Amino acid sequence: MKLKVKKEEPEIPTASMADIAFLLIVFFMLTTVFSANKGMEHILPPNEDLDEAIEPEESIYIKIFPDGQFEMDKQSFPMEQVDRIFNYVYQKIQVNAKKPIIVHTNREADYGDMIRVLDQLKMVELESKLTLGITIPSKAEAARYDQTGQ
Amino acid sequence: MKIKKTKSLEAVIPTASMADIAFLLIVFFMISTVFQVDKTSVALPESHSVTRSEVIKESAFVVIREDGAIKASDGVEDSQMVNMEDIGVLAGAWMQNRPSQPVVVKADQGVKYHYVDDVLEHLREAGVTNLKFLTEQAKNE
Repeated sequence: MKLKVKKEEPEIPTASMADIAFLLIVFFMLTTVFSANKGMEHILPPNEDLDEAIEPEESIYIKIFPDGQFEMDKQSFPMEQVDRIFNYVYQKIQVNAKKPIIVHTNREADYGDMIRVLDQLKMVELESKLTLGITIPSKAEAARYDQTGQ
Repeated sequence: MKIKKTKSLEAVIPTASMADIAFLLIVFFMISTVFQVDKTSVALPESHSVTRSEVIKESAFVVIREDGAIKASDGVEDSQMVNMEDIGVLAGAWMQNRPSQPVVVKADQGVKYHYVDDVLEHLREAGVTNLKFLTEQAKNE
């Protein structure tokens, strides 16, 4: 006896495709973060160079205090006048491009203030198209500067 | 003469292209998605746009929250809470895997500088050279 077999067309079910697609959309929407992903670059000196610390006398020495003041070559300014750094440093490096710049931040000062100063220095660097020797002193160096009464 | 009645049309919203639209959106979000290793929200300090540059892919992260809590990530895995003393060891391991490993410091602008100072000290000792301070675009430009 011959059985009649109904031939079925092979088919991929596509009805749920849109659902899958929307699920993926929701997933990517939730995981996407459009955020500030930019920052200021700073090159740390290699470890071996630590011994040859720069003398504050022969550099542009910027000290940042906890009370929102900063001192630039022994002149005090409030943090609001942070853009003075730009002009001052710009003039100095026109004379001597190799002049090192020390950013010595007091340990109780705000990190934000230090970044504002660094921001100014980076702007000088870009404006003058020179590579500045911006130094953030290590603890040992900072202690030495403090000792020498700077 | 009798005029044939106008056939009334059913109102239909075309849904055939729905899947296409959906896939377009998927592609958009897939391309624009950046899987961030750190999602801690901190008030970043501001800097001018000219001084900011894009964070390099797979940079290691050190996050300092306003209360001084520290999180770290090697740039691949999600950031985790660590102690200050462990930063040196972690950074040493990063540098061993990839000697030019860039490190991003994501710190709250209100944090006291000694937290940052300590982190920098550890990183320097571990041989990190390529550093980046994460900032936000200054509003008053």
